[in-house]
Amino acid sequence: MVNRKLIKELLSESACSHNKTKKVSCDRPKPGATNGGCAFEGAQISLFPYADAVHLVHSPATCLGASWETRATLTSFKGENNTVLGYCTDVTTNDIIFGGNKKLEESLEYIIANKDPKAIFVYETCVTAMIGDDMDNVCARIEKKYNTPIIVVHSPGFVGNKNLGSRLGGEAVLDHLIGTREPEEIHPYGINLIGEYNVTGDMWQYIPILERIGIKVISTLAGDGRIENIQMAHRAKLNVIVCAKSLITLCRKMQEKYNIPYISISFYGKRDTSNAIMSIVNAFGDEALIKKAKMIIKEEEEKLENSLLSYRKILNGKKAILNTGGNKSWSIASALQDIGIEVVATSIAKATLEDIEIAKSYVPILMKSPPNEQAKLIDEHNIDILLAGGRSLYTAIKKKIAFVDVNQEKKVSYGAYSGLINLAKDVTYALNNPVFSIVGTKAPWEN
Amino acid sequence: MAKPFQINPLKLSQPMGALLAFLGIKNCMPLMHGAQGCASFTKVFFTRHFNDPIAIQTTAVNDITAIIDGGDYSISEAIKNITAKVAPDLVGLFTTGLTETKGDDIKGATILLKDKQKIVYVNTPDFEGGLESGWSLSVASIISQLIKPQERVNPNKLLLLPNVNLTPIEVEKIKESIALFGFEVIALPDISESLDGHLGEKQGALSSGGVEVSTIEALGDAGIVISIGESMRKCGEKFKTVQPLVQHFHIDGLSGLIDTDNFYKILMDYKNIKTPPSYVARWRKRLQDALLDTHFLIGSSSIVIADESDKVYSLAKAINEAGANIPYAFVPTKSAINEYINAKNTVVGDMEDLENIIEQCEIIISNFHGERIAHKHHKSIMLRGFPNFEAVGNGMKNDVLYEGSCYLLFELANLIRESREAH
Repeated sequence: MVNRKLIKELLSESACSHNKTKKVSCDRPKPGATNGGCAFEGAQISLFPYADAVHLVHSPATCLGASWETRATLTSFKGENNTVLGYCTDVTTNDIIFGGNKKLEESLEYIIANKDPKAIFVYETCVTAMIGDDMDNVCARIEKKYNTPIIVVHSPGFVGNKNLGSRLGGEAVLDHLIGTREPEEIHPYGINLIGEYNVTGDMWQYIPILERIGIKVISTLAGDGRIENIQMAHRAKLNVIVCAKSLITLCRKMQEKYNIPYISISFYGKRDTSNAIMSIVNAFGDEALIKKAKMIIKEEEEKLENSLLSYRKILNGKKAILNTGGNKSWSIASALQDIGIEVVATSIAKATLEDIEIAKSYVPILMKSPPNEQAKLIDEHNIDILLAGGRSLYTAIKKKIAFVDVNQEKKVSYGAYSGLINLAKDVTYALNNPVFSIVGTKAPWEN
Repeated sequence: MAKPFQINPLKLSQPMGALLAFLGIKNCMPLMHGAQGCASFTKVFFTRHFNDPIAIQTTAVNDITAIIDGGDYSISEAIKNITAKVAPDLVGLFTTGLTETKGDDIKGATILLKDKQKIVYVNTPDFEGGLESGWSLSVASIISQLIKPQERVNPNKLLLLPNVNLTPIEVEKIKESIALFGFEVIALPDISESLDGHLGEKQGALSSGGVEVSTIEALGDAGIVISIGESMRKCGEKFKTVQPLVQHFHIDGLSGLIDTDNFYKILMDYKNIKTPPSYVARWRKRLQDALLDTHFLIGSSSIVIADESDKVYSLAKAINEAGANIPYAFVPTKSAINEYINAKNTVVGDMEDLENIIEQCEIIISNFHGERIAHKHHKSIMLRGFPNFEAVGNGMKNDVLYEGSCYLLFELANLIRESREAH
């Protein structure tokens, strides 16, 4: 069953800064004027990276048929990588009439008999919530029978947006997995990475650095994640929220229940990566650890600057406008500045109050309505490059300036120090590419 | 133990097919009646496939309206909010599993709004049918709800009913070929001008091209209708109920020599002409040569196909003419055409089923999801169907008529050769 009380609690998270000022609430979507994914998508984003668990979606065709194998969340898991697979009960008319419990039960039996997963996540969707399948009961029975953790995620799309769905995913993990296994020894500097999904291998850019300092990643939610590790997450000493606010409730509850403090950081750009590392070691407060971190940061920054030298010749002093949503409005701005680009303006159209506050500290001009502002700003400030979603491509072509689609699924990581070199490469390619001035050329028959 | 569910589905949903159909109408706003995720997933899916913006809105059913609203509220609110920003010539309203389970009366909601906005409604639950039926149900609804009956027919006005698998360039090529015979040809829907990947003046919120609503409304005097693909047969029959004087011709596919011959024979017989335009005859000779040039490689290979039924039928038919051995074909849903597919076994199944028999084949013809499976088993893949997330130029893949069949055979033969060199 969908837990209304929990949803209400998740929507008014006391640790969210906007709920102190009460300026913005988490609104219901507006018919005919809504973009963005549903709660199921949010749950999928936050949990599918567990590659050693099967993710069974109890739904008709759209929910999974349109969404499986769409996210480049990488894993180092050596067994069958379930992250890229699509398990769906494919609810049909018959199930709508007679109920989908039997199909769900048979599916679970089949998965346990043939796939031997470490756990099974079962996702409730709109239709299976409407027909009232008693998923909790079915799953509890099968879990007991085979002693395999089966976690029901009550995430029908109609309860809310992606963000809420990620929170529901986090709650399911907290209730069902965290604290169900004990480690052989407790690491003094063990951390959990929360809200890092390892898209294009982002976390692999910085984990080796943390390890050299002496920090150990106990578990992740859920990038390159393993079920056994998240079961021991309660023995970590610090929760590290990576660039995502949606799982703040989970971290607050873990603080209350297990006394684990949390910090929120970003690994985009040189300064933010260094700050992130320092925030982690400062949270432990160990002098030796801090000293080592400072030394390694210095090394890494020097190494990075050497690699960036050739790009800086092209990028230094170039002016950019950034038009993207959420935390990217400042995290990418910061990364761009670190490779020598002057970020003249950034969009706050889709940013939270918290993100706007942070964006202010990085970028002089905040655009509330980019479609109306960016063309004018390009002219006024002699902008060289526009980094935005596909909808802004026409603006760039019209103004004959370089364009980078920042909302497109990225192919390489921009994370941490080494990812910054990838960003520098991609921006350099765009600036050097003649396509943006050629493609908009008028045809011989146009005036 | 038989698998009671799907692992790595091949099946796409009815609302996804409905969206594509409405995108073939100019200045249309497809409106998906469901939770916000239904539309969002579908939008992202086709944006990545076509590499272009996709127009769609959602009625954004939430946990409250899911229970207390019969659809009127969220649909009328959606229309109000859409028309506050843009002026669509048509709203294409289609349902999802969620709103069909609720039992919303979309016809009633549409009638209440008829003075405010022209709407075509269609029931497309995603717990029934698939991509092909979602598209054809929508076309049938467009035919019955928009076309005004006319007393007389114009024998030179031809209504073309393409199935969902035909790419934008294929629809355009078929239209052009028909026009060579002196017809005024209208494709319904016509994605050749909306999803063909063209750089426009600016990016609008509505479909960027396609057949105009006024053109559809005036289709009642079409003297000839051609439906392509089993999934579209009923749409041709539906049109005959609107205009009983029309001559309806149906062909199951347009790839390969035999089916293309049949297609041109229909046009020549109807027009009572003995020789086709020289362009057509020349391409037929090229295809004859292509069949001979490729038969050695294709005839020695074994190929497995996984795609929508109508596409599998026409692909299998075309490559089989050059001798392809097709041990297995996989389709997502039941279709009357499945038993006529030129494969030893045609299975309604998923991509895991394909993976289970993969060692029996040399080449896979399938979508993006087949790519990972092919690489894992060191097989080569020819990408066809939805989705194709990573490769570009999907809208310009042409497998139809004599010309497209040449490209298809050459691409396949070259792939077989490369594959043998590499593996």
